[in-house]
Amino acid sequence: MRTIIYYSFLLLSLSLVGQRIITGKVVEKSGDPLMGVNVYLKGTYDGATTDIEGNFSFTTYEKDSLILIASFIGFHEAAIPLSSDQSSTEVTLREKISELNAVVITAGAFHASEEGKREVLKPLDIVTTAGATADVPGALNTLPGTQTVGETGRLFVRGGDGRETKTFIDGMLVHNEYSPSAPNTPSRSRFSPFMFKGMSFSTGGYSAEYGQALSSALILQSKDLAENNRTDISIMSVGADVSTTRAFENSSFAGKLQYTNLTPYFELAPQNLNWDKAPEEVNGNFAYRMKTSKTGMLKVYSNLSKSSMDLFESDIANPEVDKPVSVANDYAHFNLSYRELLSKKWGLKTGASYTRSNDYASLDSDSRDQNLIGFHGKVVADYQHSDRIAFLGGAELIEREVDQVLSDESGSFNQDFNERISASFLEAEWFASSSFGFKGGIRAEHNNLTETQTFAPRLSAAYKTGALSQVSIAYGEFYQAPQDQIILSQPAAAPEKAKHFIANYQWLGEGQSFRIEAYNKQYDQLVRYNQIFDPFTYRFNGDGHARGVDLFWRDTKTFKNTDYWVSYSYLDTERTFRDFPGSFTPSFASSHNFSVVVKKFIDEIKSQVGLTYSFASPRTYHDPNTEQYLSGRTPSYHDLSFNISYLYSSQVIVHAMVNNVLGINNIYGYEFADAPDVNGVYASRAITPAARRFIFLGVFITLSKNKGINQLPNL
Amino acid sequence: MRKNLFILLGLLVATISLANGQFEKAMGKTIPEIFKAETPDALQSAINQLNRIGEAEADRWEPYYYVAFGYIRMSDMYESGTDKDKYLDLALEAVDKGDQINPNDSELTALRGYVHMMRLVVDPATRGMKYSGMAFNSFQTAVQQNSENPRAHYLLGRMQYGTAQFMGNGDGGACESLNRAKELFENEQPESPIAPQWGKETNEKTIAMICNKEGE
Repeated sequence: MRTIIYYSFLLLSLSLVGQRIITGKVVEKSGDPLMGVNVYLKGTYDGATTDIEGNFSFTTYEKDSLILIASFIGFHEAAIPLSSDQSSTEVTLREKISELNAVVITAGAFHASEEGKREVLKPLDIVTTAGATADVPGALNTLPGTQTVGETGRLFVRGGDGRETKTFIDGMLVHNEYSPSAPNTPSRSRFSPFMFKGMSFSTGGYSAEYGQALSSALILQSKDLAENNRTDISIMSVGADVSTTRAFENSSFAGKLQYTNLTPYFELAPQNLNWDKAPEEVNGNFAYRMKTSKTGMLKVYSNLSKSSMDLFESDIANPEVDKPVSVANDYAHFNLSYRELLSKKWGLKTGASYTRSNDYASLDSDSRDQNLIGFHGKVVADYQHSDRIAFLGGAELIEREVDQVLSDESGSFNQDFNERISASFLEAEWFASSSFGFKGGIRAEHNNLTETQTFAPRLSAAYKTGALSQVSIAYGEFYQAPQDQIILSQPAAAPEKAKHFIANYQWLGEGQSFRIEAYNKQYDQLVRYNQIFDPFTYRFNGDGHARGVDLFWRDTKTFKNTDYWVSYSYLDTERTFRDFPGSFTPSFASSHNFSVVVKKFIDEIKSQVGLTYSFASPRTYHDPNTEQYLSGRTPSYHDLSFNISYLYSSQVIVHAMVNNVLGINNIYGYEFADAPDVNGVYASRAITPAARRFIFLGVFITLSKNKGINQLPNL
Repeated sequence: MRKNLFILLGLLVATISLANGQFEKAMGKTIPEIFKAETPDALQSAINQLNRIGEAEADRWEPYYYVAFGYIRMSDMYESGTDKDKYLDLALEAVDKGDQINPNDSELTALRGYVHMMRLVVDPATRGMKYSGMAFNSFQTAVQQNSENPRAHYLLGRMQYGTAQFMGNGDGGACESLNRAKELFENEQPESPIAPQWGKETNEKTIAMICNKEGE
């Protein structure tokens, strides 16, 4: 009996004697208390949560030297040894810099991703924009920093020519990213927007990882593994397509076959152009994704297409004379990319792309047959030293083999070049705190044709001015090889150069966002000539400037089920380049560009409707009948587009779209005859859209076991 | 001496069962707090306690199950999408931790689907595509892993109903799933007092709200 009492006493004393109260306070570096911190003794249940003053207090029976852990979301965990007699302590936690709280360098860039945590736009927003006809550049043209150049359909950024914007898919450069089109009609991107989970449209100051673009980089990230099997069928007024997605254990396959033929549409809707054979295209897209490990991903993508069209174009001087025009293109693009985390700190991205494109164009008896073979190989490594310091470095090889045969009645003329640009880049990112970030990088490029070496620094910084607002600035130097025709005539033509200075303010509220950005871009080493085909007239001393302000406002909150955004760009630009006799505003630049995009989901009719209004101020054109160069001004450009997507059932959607609802007669510019007529006057012709309005109708059907899936996000 | 040995042995057994009992006791005390907490502070405090238990008991998945459940509730207490996403990230992290200890568990898989479903609710128009697929996949996998798990059927039913509502047609098979869940809830015999056993009442409420109308 005595023993039992003895042991009971032992037990009791064990619990009483060992009891200890541990108290303390948790603060952040600034001294401010932290509430909700989990403070506990390692390996035990004993602990507490800090109160509003950062204080904690708990009882423990542990008596040895212990480790006190303080853990809190968004902060580095702290482990503090406690001696056996210590009962009070103060803990300071250091903020963890993460994607969620860190300032983002936004100067020059519009980011869009599906997750959209801190993004201004999402891929879906881009796709459902009225007037964009589900074309990525078409939709991006409603963002500030772009200039409407309706006759090309391309992205003209901040006073830059369309060729100054380059497209990258999963880091790999895409050559000839636009489908061919008839003269003075807009072309479309070859790449369907639904392939991408994220995009970053940079209107300047982009990372050292990207080169060979003077003005802008469009960086697209393709989707990862597909989750569900599905088959989609689309029947449209311009053609049909069928696509299928198969999801496997650790891989997925997606394929799409598209046939476009505008003949039936053109029969119904009269066109200004005299078509012999309306545009016809067969386009195949194939994507395979494989998860190679928990963190590894292999992506293979290919795009194959074949297109052609024939029409008659009247001679400007003699409108009754029709000349035949033919355009044809064969295109193949293969893109392979692989990324893997080598360790917690090291990451690796690598990729290769191959493009083969044959473009044939003829006017009457003149023809141009151009072949391009492009290769791009790239390796990028990143090293995350800590949550504050990170490095990125890599090397790439961009090779292009271009050959061109120009033929006319007198014979043919062959030109070619084989350009190899090898580049390496290094970039460092440093966060002094979650509100102040800095990025510096350098890109070195070597061009085999010119035997030149360029070094392009890129610098940017961002500072959080409040919980929702921030400012950022960027500076960068950019080089790009001159246009192909120049290199064909003179392979040693030196690269052209641009410098960007950008300052940006951004406010990102819940459901609302505002951006204002001012920029100054300086061009240098632009190619000048008297005759583009005559290399003896080439000079490399052209220059110019583009400066302006871009404004953007978006609101998804104020009106129920309604999302709208407003963009405005002001541009002041002049250049001395090409055959300009002095410094002038190029014809692709307009001073004021304005657009409003509105989208609304109307429950009663189960439909999403969209409206887009775009305005561009007059553009210059050169009238050889006047003394002054580029003194002509086109009328302003206006367009109002409308679209509607009706959810007939969960898997059937009907979509309709009308461009230029108001039927405004837009004039993009004027063309003039090569020689004056008998009265000494150069005959002219307005460049206008092929038809006042473009109407599109389509039925989209999705077959999937998962009833929640339809093509709505693709429209 | 023999008696002493006996007592000592008894004491040892008592300590072991005490240690085991300590886990069940601590969990038993904290789990209701996860369900009852009305404020983010109270909820965070309960989640913290569960995380402490989880840290100390390396082979138990249940603490993380309830941590995830707590964070799902937490995400519901906030209005802004950014806050919601932050807590849903933490919920998913907890499901992952549980999954490492107890892989291919129907309850954890169903909860993972629940996180995806809540993620979708933040922005259905943009996220519908991705997260509805992920949520459906998780619920269907959870049913495959244990067809007797009433929560898997209940959550699947909610997802089916939500999708059908978004598309504006019928119930999408929701009532069938919810009624199956009801049957299973009525016969549910939890493996242990701390095993997941929530959902019976909300399931019945959901049935009353959406399924009984059809009979009218």
